[in-house]
Amino acid sequence: MMQFGKQGWHLGRSALLALTVLGFVPAANGQAPAAGLPLEEQVEVCADCHGENGNSTTPEIPSLAGQPALTITNQMIYFRETLRNNDVMTPQAQGLSDAEIEALAAYYAKQPVSPAPDLSDLDSRRYEQGKTLAREMRCASCHRSDFSGNEQMPRLAGQREDYLIKAMKDYRERNRGGPDTTMIDILRDVSNEEIEALAHFLAHYESQSTSQ
Amino acid sequence: MKLARSTLAPMLLAIGGLATLGITTQALAQDDEPAWAQGRPDSLQDAPMAPHAGKMTQTPKEELPLDHIRLPDGFNAEVWAHGMPGARMMALGDEGTLFLGTRSIGRVYAVMDNGDERETMTVANGLTQPNGVAFKDGSLYVAAINEVYRYDDIESHLADGNVPEPVELTDEFDLPDDEHHGWKFLAFGPDDRLYVPVGAPCNGCDVDADVHATIRSYEPDGTDMRIEARGVRNTVGFDFHPETGELWFTDNNQDWISQHIPSDELNRISESGEHFGFPACHANGFVDPERGSEGACDDITYPAALMGPHTAPLGMRFYQGDMFPDEYRNAMFIARHGSWNRTMNSGFDVKVAMISDDGDSASTSTFMDGFLDPRTNEFSGRPTDVQELPDGSLLVSDDQNGAVYRITYEAPDY
Repeated sequence: MMQFGKQGWHLGRSALLALTVLGFVPAANGQAPAAGLPLEEQVEVCADCHGENGNSTTPEIPSLAGQPALTITNQMIYFRETLRNNDVMTPQAQGLSDAEIEALAAYYAKQPVSPAPDLSDLDSRRYEQGKTLAREMRCASCHRSDFSGNEQMPRLAGQREDYLIKAMKDYRERNRGGPDTTMIDILRDVSNEEIEALAHFLAHYESQSTSQ
Repeated sequence: MKLARSTLAPMLLAIGGLATLGITTQALAQDDEPAWAQGRPDSLQDAPMAPHAGKMTQTPKEELPLDHIRLPDGFNAEVWAHGMPGARMMALGDEGTLFLGTRSIGRVYAVMDNGDERETMTVANGLTQPNGVAFKDGSLYVAAINEVYRYDDIESHLADGNVPEPVELTDEFDLPDDEHHGWKFLAFGPDDRLYVPVGAPCNGCDVDADVHATIRSYEPDGTDMRIEARGVRNTVGFDFHPETGELWFTDNNQDWISQHIPSDELNRISESGEHFGFPACHANGFVDPERGSEGACDDITYPAALMGPHTAPLGMRFYQGDMFPDEYRNAMFIARHGSWNRTMNSGFDVKVAMISDDGDSASTSTFMDGFLDPRTNEFSGRPTDVQELPDGSLLVSDDQNGAVYRITYEAPDY
């Protein structure tokens, strides 16, 4: 039985012509900067946008710290397989092996979520509105009752508010791509105001629940 | 309606109060439910039942659950190919290349058998759930949602180290593009036509009986569509009887009615166009609590065998080889992918179905199991399809581990 080494990848349908034999040449073009580096150097590449230890300080860029490993793995596979197309992340995933992706996912799953975001912007009315919506929409049935995520379902608690808004709007408007259509169905008729309230509640959830 | 959080409670509710349940279900706003949760009653909104997360990364050979596999005496399992995340339905080329479709990961794999070694490659990627693969006259057919491609002379191209540019047949087949139950299974019939299912785009719903919940057949170029069967909710596996040529198929029944009913099915088409019951009549005469009424099961063809509730019988093949004992000849091997809509898992095995003397029905028993540990309710693999090799051995794909096992037989020396 042959053993498989690093796999080569190619972009999209145009790649139907290319033949990839497992264990041989990785795609020559479109290799991500992080591919093949040791983990500690890979996470420096990620940190440029996703922050030190995966706690993002960049607008609309998600925190990875404390995400379930399978959440990160699946999204990276979707990017690499060009099933989810994002100008930044699809190229960043090219050439990463399954094992590299799993190691990165395991690393970020273990990183602690940064302590309480600045609470000065907490709007208790919107927080309560978001809390009610989250209950009505049963977010916890997949994302867990503390919104810490589960398997392929991401952590929402403590995520950047602007990223949560962007992600939910992208799902609703079918701009996000990816094979999983669950969130598209759920957000179909949710208004901007409701999305903003949900995001406000979830972004502040951790700090609020621990400070009580 | 208050419900204790116990395993049995949902069953008692469903059996004891079907009428109530129907009303409850109807009252729910379904628009913002994900596809898999359609029909979930209010009382089960927080129940821990949801489709199992698939795995889209390679499983190392040493981590494959080969040691878990149990088979009747004389049978043996080995790892035949691995490292193909999500590998599902199989088709065998004339030169011995095995082709495998996938769902989430969007790839089609090819495995070339070089005797002791197998060489595995990705021949297509970036497709939307390319689950259906079939091989005919040197060409590989791939069906995704909603695209159909044909790769001509694929095995000679692969031998030269390349993949032929596919011929796109999407417009010719003109299949609906619904995501829900829109993934395909493909097989050529003895009439040289290509058989393609079109599943119901829902858990349970009213459908146009000439469009959804059908099995269709086409000329290989996508022309001359015929409806071969109606009322088929979601079949992901069929094969043709080696002697009668009749089409036998598996069918997956509705979720959330109960953990214990209706049963999934093994069916036989004796006349083209027969109706198998969806959405009003399930399994062997179970009237749908919401869409069925008295007489819903009149003129419905009942299953040849019941495969168990939510067990997800998928790929199946008639066995025609010489390697296994005579009793297996013209019997069907059926891969049961395993349940998610039960709190006690069920399936995750391969059944064998032997046809009755009159040819109308079949009796089933377990052929391969061990992936499901009933003590912990955990599973280590998910049989997805079966494929006989020319030497009479049987391949079983496992999409949870991206592996293919080969089952051989040698008469035991008792």
